[in-house]
Amino acid sequence: MEEVDKILIHALRHVGTEVGEDVDSLKRFTSDLIVEAVVRCVRVIEPGLGGALPTSLPPGMSARFRVGMSLAQACQDVGYKGEIGYQTFLYSNEPEIRSLLMFLVEKLPRERAEASDQSAGKSAVLQRSIAAAIRTQLAASWVPPNCRLPLHCETQNHGALHSFHVQPLTFPHCTKTSDKKHLKGLPPCSLHFTRNACAPCSDRTGSVLSEVQDYHRDVLPPVTAQASSQASAVASILERHAAELSAAQEWDNDWKSQGLLSRLTPQEYRSRKSSRLRKRIEEQLRSAAAPSPESAFGVSRSASELTELLQTFKGSAPSAHVLTKGTHFTHAQKFTFTQEGAATSPVLAGRQSEGDAQIRQQEELSSLQQQFQQLCSEVDQLAADIKHLNVTNAQVLDELKQRELRNAEEEEKMQVKKKTADLLPDAENNLLKLQSLVEGGAKRVVNLASQWEKHRAPLIEEYRRLKEICSNKDLESNRKLSEIKSLHEKIRVSTEEAKKKEDTYKQLVTELERLPKDASRSAYTQRILEIVGNIKKQKEEITKILSDTKELQKEINNLTGKLDRTFAVTDELVFKDAKKDESVRKAYKYLAALHENCNQLIQTIEDTGTILREIRDLEEQIEAENGNKTVSNLERILDDYKAIRQENAALAAKVREG
Amino acid sequence: MTTTEAQIMLSVGIIEKDVNGDTLWVWCYPSVSPELKQVLLRKCCLTQEVQEFHTFVFGHFSRTWFYITTAEVQEPTALNKVTHFSIVITAKDFNPEKYAALSRILCRTYMKHGSPVKMMEAYITVLTKGICQSDENGSFLIKDYDVETAYLAGSIKDVVSQFGVETVILYTALMLKKRIVIYHPRIEALLEFTRVLPALTWHRKDWSILHPYVHLTDVELDDIKKCPGYVAGFVDPVVSNRSDLFDVFVNLPDGVITVSQGAKDAMAMGKLHKDIAQLIVKSAEDAERSDSQVIKDLSMKTAEVLSHLAALTESCGNSKLTLEALKQHHFPPATENFLFHLAAAEQLLQI
Repeated sequence: MEEVDKILIHALRHVGTEVGEDVDSLKRFTSDLIVEAVVRCVRVIEPGLGGALPTSLPPGMSARFRVGMSLAQACQDVGYKGEIGYQTFLYSNEPEIRSLLMFLVEKLPRERAEASDQSAGKSAVLQRSIAAAIRTQLAASWVPPNCRLPLHCETQNHGALHSFHVQPLTFPHCTKTSDKKHLKGLPPCSLHFTRNACAPCSDRTGSVLSEVQDYHRDVLPPVTAQASSQASAVASILERHAAELSAAQEWDNDWKSQGLLSRLTPQEYRSRKSSRLRKRIEEQLRSAAAPSPESAFGVSRSASELTELLQTFKGSAPSAHVLTKGTHFTHAQKFTFTQEGAATSPVLAGRQSEGDAQIRQQEELSSLQQQFQQLCSEVDQLAADIKHLNVTNAQVLDELKQRELRNAEEEEKMQVKKKTADLLPDAENNLLKLQSLVEGGAKRVVNLASQWEKHRAPLIEEYRRLKEICSNKDLESNRKLSEIKSLHEKIRVSTEEAKKKEDTYKQLVTELERLPKDASRSAYTQRILEIVGNIKKQKEEITKILSDTKELQKEINNLTGKLDRTFAVTDELVFKDAKKDESVRKAYKYLAALHENCNQLIQTIEDTGTILREIRDLEEQIEAENGNKTVSNLERILDDYKAIRQENAALAAKVREG
Repeated sequence: MTTTEAQIMLSVGIIEKDVNGDTLWVWCYPSVSPELKQVLLRKCCLTQEVQEFHTFVFGHFSRTWFYITTAEVQEPTALNKVTHFSIVITAKDFNPEKYAALSRILCRTYMKHGSPVKMMEAYITVLTKGICQSDENGSFLIKDYDVETAYLAGSIKDVVSQFGVETVILYTALMLKKRIVIYHPRIEALLEFTRVLPALTWHRKDWSILHPYVHLTDVELDDIKKCPGYVAGFVDPVVSNRSDLFDVFVNLPDGVITVSQGAKDAMAMGKLHKDIAQLIVKSAEDAERSDSQVIKDLSMKTAEVLSHLAALTESCGNSKLTLEALKQHHFPPATENFLFHLAAAEQLLQI
């Protein structure tokens, strides 16, 4: 009970009730204190109701009576379901007051600290501080340069602006390629992805050259000194870190999803991927570079840009290329443009003597035109020659090929004919011999084939059997791979959960530290847990007692039943004989009396037990009533009654006078 | 010429696909070069990832014709753990019907006995005697299948009915020994169509330009590039982007013939071509005339053109044509161009 009282008193103090330091239990609450506490609580719960109520009892009895009634009404309006009236406040008793105050304190609106809806977590805290800093900076008004204080210089000067400039950095961690422990999760080959530093460091086998190691140890400046300015140092490190992290994550994801399935080692997987990408690039370049009119309509502008780009790679296109592809007209166009270019330059040159220059220009023009005509005709001639040569070249090659083939064929035929001619003199015999040879050869070949088959068939069988085993193992390994994948997934989920739980734990710890320490919740929680334990134990004992009682009751029932049956049987038996024998009759009478007396005994015992129970109940009631302070309350009521009667008389007299 | 014919068959091989999903080359006689083995494995429909089953395909690689018959193993059979198998015959001549019949017999023998030995016996008898017993109460005789029938077995009428007057583009390309590439997603349609194209230049009777089934691999592309002019069939639609491979591209399912930029001036067509086109169409539309008659009509017209060309060469020395001599006759430019290139193709041009 003390803890409950302490909590109530603490809450009431919080609401604003002036509870004295020595008052530590509800027994010590006076009526005034009770009224004040209740009124303040009601005011907090529902300001409208509580405003009309005074916090202290007025001296006059009727006024006190009225205040009590209105308070009771207010409490009922707030929602208190118990029995309440003016007597609860004026003539209070502990249990009622306790229940009322508990109800009111629970109804008090809980103050939720602002801190609870702020999600904590290091990044959120950081963001909030950044936001706060920016807010203050934005709030500072702009000051013209001449008037700037050092306070403003940091944020308003031009020089303070640094663009995000990134420089490549050299990290010496490639010296540890052989030492796998340092690269947990970062496969050695991924270093080749990072832009500059590591490619020259390691040779084919991945071990690091000693010169490079020396360089890294002695000459290479630390990372912060490598960048040209402070600002770009930070940016470069961040960029580098982000790039490596994303590359590692990318590789991780890729490997876990596709790489494991492909059953290759990481290097093989990587090389296969790069060769596939290269092939695709080749295809794309080829299809874009080849001018294909059939598909030209569908090809977007980007392809033509690509062809232009490729043309620039080719450099100055060889003139022969130009000649064969162009027609007379395009050449003419090109030449007119160049001619115009040549013509404009003399125009720009000088305006000295106009007439003179005009004539000279005309002459130049005509000579250039002549030259141009000549070149055109030469070009045409060359083009025709080339065409002619191409065609004749094709013809010659064709002829050559055909002749070669014919040669080969004729040679074969000649061989056969030669052999036949050799055999011709003795035609008949040779024919027979040949036939027998052929037949013998055929039989031998068939024989060899069957022998070979004897060898081949079991080998093929074996191969197929092993392949089956292999594919079964494949299934097995597939299953294991999927298990591995699910394990990876579980690991990921668990790490996330662990992270989240750690975050919430940290957040809760900080919240706990921030909470006020006046009401020691741990003491309460301890007591609550103790009480719960006690209650559990009591419950156990109660159940035990109940079961014992049940057992006893069962036994009693059993025995009663047995008794009845035995008596009935004995009674029958004896009664039968009693008719004849005198002693048996006496025995029967004794039996009946015995039964009667025993019954009475049992009855008496039961009555005693009942009465004892009643006594216990009554004793409990007496104790409860004693706590109610009824006697003192009664005296007070009588006194108040007398006071009210006096007041009534005084008021009546006043009314009569006035 | 039965003796030389018997040496035309080069080898026979068996490819099996078993219950593990492996496709293996299990037997060959006498031998097949590893390169050719790779090519044949690719052509055999058992290796392809798409489960299409082609009973009979043929093709041309490195001056060797190959004929692949594929069968599904059905009960009762002596073969165990085999789901499908193909019999591959390579030969020097083009005769799909002959080799289809032969390989059918060999397939049945193999499936029945489960051992290549019996099959080889049949093959050897064909090789040595030109005849073999088939289990359909008949026999297979080589001399039943002669090469002219094979050449004429395709249907020129189908080609003309699909392309109409554009058939003359194919005719021109063939006459000028240009490179024709044909695309169709189904191999059977491709084979049907391409085998009849060399018949348009009947005077040459040259089927070695025909490569009806080619894949876009370096090995095979190098092989077809060895011929100056060829007729190549592809099932891969990507080939339409490979303009370095063709002068004329035929998209068979869409029925579109395209001439590539580089060949447009060589393939320019004039009145002569119009005449030929009309002749082809008229002849093919005539229901009374059979395929071989259509080809014969066309070859007569070709002979006309060639004799005309030969007449032109008489005026020059060495019986070879020169460009100047041609120009003297003042033909229209398209016809002149065509005759010039035709002379080069027929090896009548002065070098």
